[in-house]
Amino acid sequence: MGNKQTVFTHEQLEAYQDCTFFTRKEIMRLFYRYQDLAPQLVPLDYTSCPDVKVPYELIGSMPELKDNPFRQRIAQVFSEDGDGHMTLDNFLDMFSVMSEMAPRDLKAYYAFKIYDFNNDGYICAWDLEQTVTKLTRGELSAEEVSLVCEKVLDEADGDHDGRLSLEDFQNMILRAPDFLSTFHIRI
Amino acid sequence: MLSDDQVNEIIIEVENVPSGVVPEKTLLNSSLGMVSRISDIDVTDSQSFSCPHDKKSKPLLQFSTSLNESFSQTLHGPGSVGIDTPCTSHENIQGQKLIASLIPMTSRDRIKAIRSQPRTMEEKRNLKKMVDKEKSKQSRRMLELNCCAQCLNSISRVYRRSKTSLSELLNSVSLWQKTLKVIGGKFGTSVLSYFNFLKWILKFNIFSFIVTFSFIIIPQFTVAEKNTLQFTGLEFFTGAGYFGNTVMYYGFYTNSTIRHRNGGASYNMQLAYLFTIGACLIVCFFSLLFSMARYFRNNFINPHIYSRGIAKLIFCWDFTVTHETAVKLKQKNLSTEIRENLSEILQENVKLTLNQQLIRFSAHLAAWVVSTGVAVACCVAVYYLAENNSEFLKNHRDPGAVLLLPFLVSCINLAVPRLYSMFRLVERYEMPRHEVYTLLIRNIFLKISIIGILCYYWLNVVAQAGEECWETLIGQEIYRLLLMDFVFSLADSFLGEFLRRLIGMQFMTSLGLQEFDIARNVLELIYAQTLVWIGTFFCPLLPFIQMITLFIMFYVKNISLMMNFQPPSKAWRASQMMTFFIFLLFFPSFTGVLCTLAITIWRLKPSADCGPFRGLPFFIHSIYGWIDTLSKRPSYLWVVWIYRNLIGSVHFFFILTLIVEGKDKMFLIEKLTKLQDAEKRANTSSFTLERRDVEQPGPLHVGEHDAACDLRFRRSVQEETPKA
Repeated sequence: MGNKQTVFTHEQLEAYQDCTFFTRKEIMRLFYRYQDLAPQLVPLDYTSCPDVKVPYELIGSMPELKDNPFRQRIAQVFSEDGDGHMTLDNFLDMFSVMSEMAPRDLKAYYAFKIYDFNNDGYICAWDLEQTVTKLTRGELSAEEVSLVCEKVLDEADGDHDGRLSLEDFQNMILRAPDFLSTFHIRI
Repeated sequence: MLSDDQVNEIIIEVENVPSGVVPEKTLLNSSLGMVSRISDIDVTDSQSFSCPHDKKSKPLLQFSTSLNESFSQTLHGPGSVGIDTPCTSHENIQGQKLIASLIPMTSRDRIKAIRSQPRTMEEKRNLKKMVDKEKSKQSRRMLELNCCAQCLNSISRVYRRSKTSLSELLNSVSLWQKTLKVIGGKFGTSVLSYFNFLKWILKFNIFSFIVTFSFIIIPQFTVAEKNTLQFTGLEFFTGAGYFGNTVMYYGFYTNSTIRHRNGGASYNMQLAYLFTIGACLIVCFFSLLFSMARYFRNNFINPHIYSRGIAKLIFCWDFTVTHETAVKLKQKNLSTEIRENLSEILQENVKLTLNQQLIRFSAHLAAWVVSTGVAVACCVAVYYLAENNSEFLKNHRDPGAVLLLPFLVSCINLAVPRLYSMFRLVERYEMPRHEVYTLLIRNIFLKISIIGILCYYWLNVVAQAGEECWETLIGQEIYRLLLMDFVFSLADSFLGEFLRRLIGMQFMTSLGLQEFDIARNVLELIYAQTLVWIGTFFCPLLPFIQMITLFIMFYVKNISLMMNFQPPSKAWRASQMMTFFIFLLFFPSFTGVLCTLAITIWRLKPSADCGPFRGLPFFIHSIYGWIDTLSKRPSYLWVVWIYRNLIGSVHFFFILTLIVEGKDKMFLIEKLTKLQDAEKRANTSSFTLERRDVEQPGPLHVGEHDAACDLRFRRSVQEETPKA
């Protein structure tokens, strides 16, 4: 125990603790997980705030993410430039939002961004088709997929513009209490 | 103290700033306004990045520096330099308002608000830095005014730090983290909820054990008499014999005031006994209450607008599943479920003929009559056996004969729920969740009536039969019941489930592996915990025994799960079910325990020769006597006052509950109104949809058939929702 770690300054660690849902110990554990992904790339001393990005291929190979159908989208949403390559800040942010302490609104916001494949701020029919395809892995035929997308839009589209806004998504999530426990990655 | 949503809403209300760059959306719901606004900010951020400097590195620093500049400008002087571009002015005003709203919050709420911001880490850090700087400036100004506030501030800071270090410590000794992660990875959130429930109940028992051990058992050890009975191995099963003269049972405890040195501190065993048990129960009560409130808050859902639709299936993918085969299986199951959902919509509005309705109704009625009849028959059998047991035991000196009653009860608990599951073959339900609830209600009724009839027997017959040390007898009965239950669970896991796997894999491969029956297992946990709560008064070592039992059960269930089960094929709605189970644990389980113990303490006569309350007319007289002695001492009159005016009055508890739940209730009322608004909007939208659909005979890319099913689907959504 004790504050003998030399990776972060005290202020950095305190800032991380206040900006994420993790305790100091968890932040250190997460740092070592991040460092393990690319030991050559990630320095063991972050006091000088190095600008290091772990490429997406390594992030996507983490056991918590490697079989997730949405791993690419998750990495893209949380990465700085939207390309999936993540800095330590992005990494901590991602797992903080996906932890069980994050509130529902925050999770819903990021879930919306994850399902918005074309990043236009709305979940349109094309986004839905992508989502359904990733979820069912080619088990459904093309007509079934488009039928599903239509039904989803029927159910959730409150303002009838043919696409889901963040507000529609939030309303729908309110009716699905399981969302909070399923949108959760344990690390 | 602000709740989470209130904190979020404070930030939102401040942010209703007209944007010069991004077109504004009118927002009906202010809580959503935050996140929409933030996405607006992100858009303006990216615009400002491409704007003047076009630097790739540290674009967020620009945001923060512009925030900083504008903020310091507005603070330090009027007539400051005008903001250069319209996009930065927008984000500056937003940022200023955000910071201004964060400053007056307490540090706890501020941290909560910062954490819940959907911004990148860099932005949150800069936000925090700026707020801290502003706060320190303000507090420097306040230093002359209020030294006391400074003290309070530093105290609260110290308290917060100690709380975080305590929670870190607790998390480091957190049990079974890796195992739970593996279970979640292979089986998903729903099965994981059973194991989390087990872990939570284990915490109750650990706490009860620590409290009873420190305050009753250890003092009793210091004045323990020698145990003259012989120890044979059978005591582990019967709980009688050698164990009857140990700290395990009520009868062993002394009624004296323990004094070790002349004039040293005295320890009143009677009061200690009552207060310890009372403290355990009170802590369990509040813990249950808070858990219920928290679960209810997170999972509050107006049952009428519960959507059976497909959107939930699509957007609630279980991210905890990480195992490759589990993910593939889940994807396959999801496809099947989606197909079923699509076809259900075709079938569901098929109107049943009167004949078919009558048949269904009579099937339900028959099933209910049979299930109630079976439950009542079991209770009668249990009571009859219990009554005749005492004579039977007097005639047969075989010590193992006392196990007959627990054996019967465990057999009932094993066989009858499976009988109830078989009713599924006869009854047909419109919705699968009605089936789940009906099964649950029947099982709950069975278990509650068995416990009820046993309590009735113990309190009315055993306690008043004039036996010596009836409390110890009851304690031994409860111990035997728990032990037999444990043995049956082990046998079920090792033999029953293993056999089922063999049958499913080798002999009748069409059956396949079974799925983990979460409801039945959770009910068994609740049943055992109810017995433990009742039995702690008569057998103070019972929480320790239950602790060991639960520990072993975790590993046994885990191993059996990995070997003999497959992941669930259908969505289980874990969070709603958990809310329901915790509610069940509170009422009727815990309240039943409180009633039983209240009857014991207020109405029953303690046995004359054993236990801490020997010789008293009622258990409660020890408290009366203590209050009487205290009222003679002037320095303790405040205790007497508390007793007479607060604890004595029932209103106190209601007020306490109201205060404790007050802020949660306000939140619930707000949420309810929000949901009803959303409901009304959905209603009107479905109305317009139907009208639109009637005008156009069919959408373009699907056939007539699907258009008809669209209509029916919308009508069904409406039928479900109008009652809100």
